Amino acid sequence: MPRGMAAHPHLASKLLLLGNAWRHKRGRMLLAAALILAGCAAVAAVPPTGSILGWLGRNWAVAFVIATCVFALSAARRRQRAAIDAATSWLAALPAGSPVLLRVMLASGAWLVASVAFTALVWAIGAIDRFAFSRLALSMAAGAVVGFLAGWRLPRAGIGAPGFHYAIVRRPRARWASAPSLAPLANWPAAQGRIFSRPKKSAPVLLIAMMAIPSGLHDAPGQVALAVAGACLALFSLLSLSKAAVWVAVDAARWLAPTTLERWRFTGALIWRVALTQTATLGVLIFLTSIIDLPRVLRVGLPLAALYLAASLAAAVAASLLACRRAGLGA
Amino acid sequence: MPEVLAIRSLHAGYDKLVVLSGVDLSVARGEWLALLGPNASGKTTLLHCIAGLLSPSGGSISICGHSLREQTKAAKGALGFGCAPESLPDLLTGRQCLEIYAAAKGLAAVDAGVLALAEEFALAPMLDRFVGSYSLGTKQKLAVLLALLGEPALVVLDEAFNGLDPASALVLKRHLRSRVSSGSCGVLLATHALDVVERYSDRAALLLEGRIAREWSREELAALRAAPGEGLELALAAASAAS
Repeated sequence: MPRGMAAHPHLASKLLLLGNAWRHKRGRMLLAAALILAGCAAVAAVPPTGSILGWLGRNWAVAFVIATCVFALSAARRRQRAAIDAATSWLAALPAGSPVLLRVMLASGAWLVASVAFTALVWAIGAIDRFAFSRLALSMAAGAVVGFLAGWRLPRAGIGAPGFHYAIVRRPRARWASAPSLAPLANWPAAQGRIFSRPKKSAPVLLIAMMAIPSGLHDAPGQVALAVAGACLALFSLLSLSKAAVWVAVDAARWLAPTTLERWRFTGALIWRVALTQTATLGVLIFLTSIIDLPRVLRVGLPLAALYLAASLAAAVAASLLACRRAGLGA
Repeated sequence: MPEVLAIRSLHAGYDKLVVLSGVDLSVARGEWLALLGPNASGKTTLLHCIAGLLSPSGGSISICGHSLREQTKAAKGALGFGCAPESLPDLLTGRQCLEIYAAAKGLAAVDAGVLALAEEFALAPMLDRFVGSYSLGTKQKLAVLLALLGEPALVVLDEAFNGLDPASALVLKRHLRSRVSSGSCGVLLATHALDVVERYSDRAALLLEGRIAREWSREELAALRAAPGEGLELALAAASAAS
């Protein structure tokens, strides 16, 4: 244990965990860090990033409000999560309390540093000027402080109900015992997708989407704001389903590994409902947006939707086959 | 009775950590073998190798004469593996789990015997709830039912009595015993419950430091059962000390 940490067992255990991970999974950690850095660099180099950050730099009040809301929500959620962890930790019985405040402060501080570093990267690339960068950095720092204070004081909800309460219990098939089918396997990623897109998760997305509509500045009508909010929620649920299909594949393959199930049957059974739901959601979105501007939807929306669907399915299939290989299913 | 499980010189581990080093074990049809051993002795690793969840680094595993490596499908077709309760899918209902597992095993129908056992376990009213809302004991019952689907020739269970209430544990012990006695399967049970070993098992094997350190035959178990005091516990302690 690090010297002087005996009085802070919660912090010491985190440091030891980090040290163990560094010793045993150094390669994976470095690879993950490299991938994250590469992703950030790629996003920073994309033209819209510079335009958006430039606009926010000029309208620093909007940047400040967004930063305040984001940090307030994250501080409130982190505080709740830290309190739950402290109550259920293996160190809960020790007289030394869990440093909830320090943990939330460190996490918020780390996110602020990461956000400013990303903005600095965009500035270094030349996508924004120094003036925009300094205004953005100051707005984010001020927003982080105000947001942290507000979020810390937000009334705390009780310990949350388990996430699976958001999923729907589907009625059993009439012939489930006399003619068993793999079809219900598809309920697993569908249920996981609903948990990923539950109100608690989708609320910040909706908030950011609503704040991104400068209705007061450009006279955007309320219907447009509602349409954007609806579209954002639909897109968030699509992303959640894609993530769920990849996420569930590993556990499902491991669970079914002792059976004689073939890989492609497993893959098909796992992702058919995700594919169907995503196709239906994208279809509805395209139909609704085509009422507003049919030519543009046909030119841009339709190919984008097809591309997303193909990418999502490819990711799910690849994850499923990889999970089968690792678990030894269908070998 | 023919062998339903034959393990020869099995070596396995995780990365550089060697857990099993030369395990030889066999289970015959109509036989209940209890696998004993202290914590971290490699019992679960051995069971994971049998279930195909972990690839051994050496040696061979045959189920009903089919090599797990070369005739995987035929070998797994004869296997009923009771997974750990925590690896059951939280977001499916118990009924969906039974249906999916039966379909994955290629069964035409869910066995009536398994449904009857679910009734005996008082699990039927819980079957349409998410597995995530089950208690440890209820998950354990579901894991056992999944293992018994399709009348497998080899049933492999890991700490199957953990969390079970005494009535359900008795139901399971009797059910397994009747399956074994009828000669329809062989059972390999990793356990710390010595009463199960003494009263229900036909043989017992002690796994220590990745090897089978000691085996007890049916007659030796009977003698230990008849002996006053802590027969098997003392025998286990002596075998561990000698090893």
